[in-house]
Amino acid sequence: MYEAVYAHPDGGSTVARQALTAADSGYDGIVVRNHGDEQADYDTDAVSDAYGIDVAVGVEVRADDPSRASGFVGNYRNDRTIVVVHGGDRRINRFAVEQPTVDVLAHPMREDGDFNHVLANAAADNGVRIEFDFGPVLRSSGGSRVRAIKELRKLRELVQDAGAPFVVSAAPSNHLQIRAPRDVVAVGETIGFDADAVREGLAEWGRVAERNRERQSDDVIEPGVRLEDSDRRSDDE
Amino acid sequence: MKHLPKHLRPRWRYLAVGIETWPNASFGRRAFQREVWYAAQNLLGDTGSAETDMTVLQFHDYEGTAEAIVRTRRGQTDPARAALACVDSIDDDEVRVRVRGISGTVRACEEKYIRGPPEATEQRHVVFENADRGATVRPPRYDVETASDGPFVGATALDFR
Repeated sequence: MYEAVYAHPDGGSTVARQALTAADSGYDGIVVRNHGDEQADYDTDAVSDAYGIDVAVGVEVRADDPSRASGFVGNYRNDRTIVVVHGGDRRINRFAVEQPTVDVLAHPMREDGDFNHVLANAAADNGVRIEFDFGPVLRSSGGSRVRAIKELRKLRELVQDAGAPFVVSAAPSNHLQIRAPRDVVAVGETIGFDADAVREGLAEWGRVAERNRERQSDDVIEPGVRLEDSDRRSDDE
Repeated sequence: MKHLPKHLRPRWRYLAVGIETWPNASFGRRAFQREVWYAAQNLLGDTGSAETDMTVLQFHDYEGTAEAIVRTRRGQTDPARAALACVDSIDDDEVRVRVRGISGTVRACEEKYIRGPPEATEQRHVVFENADRGATVRPPRYDVETASDGPFVGATALDFR
């Protein structure tokens, strides 16, 4: 299972500390999803080797309007394993679910964002994963938390009905906000999620990372065409 | 009052809880107990809170970390876990709470999951983002002070090579 984290300077802990804590909590990997304007400087292999946890390089594209967001997605698509779009604006949500090159639409209900069956169906058609952001459930209280739980329920019903893919994250912006997978599952169950669905959502980050790494590897020439080991050997001869 | 016959006594489960926080935080058992009750009541409501009936039995405070044993009723360990996950601060100090494991007796819980004091922390000067900073270090963890007495940035030995 994977957690998608914000790291310093977008959060309060470095990539290495997030990775160490996530490994300690029982995750198999992390996705570094810093916003485009607050990128972290880190060595993926060094962190991954030191703490025995996979580190996937991601980015969260934040833009005010769809055309700028589209430009950013295009720029980042080739050198990032996971491209997330910072949701929470109706036009941005709409843009993200209609772009097959986007991996994840993050927190679509935040601020004045909203979601409906049309967007859910588009997300299912284009294979864009919808994020269930557990951050506010874990860290806020009172009215804002009630609203967050209510919105998660609405989103869950829409995503389930459309059969859209989804991911789950606690969106930790420092290492103290990381919660162990079992604890996240327990919280999910109390707010109406199916335990297996939460586990699936945490594991989905890892599957996206694996799929995109394969697609971006040198072996893949174009969709459907890949270099097999046997082809390469005949080249050498 | 007279002891209840054995089959009528409540059955308990004991959760071993690990707590991590910033180096300048300080809180004790009572503060943690209060936050646990609040978290349970806010997440599970009065009925759920009564049902889980969480009590902090032991609380060991070390510098920047702590460990505790929390008792809950048998069959309520999942809601208890959820409530503990929602404890995000104690007395306004941000914390990470993690359930290390669950046992059927206090002794088993202590033996399996309570590790005792970690190594002592030390103060070091480090260069972080081209500036000289103080850091509280418990290898491989570095908590770097970005201003005097916080806010901190969490880092590890890897960030200072």
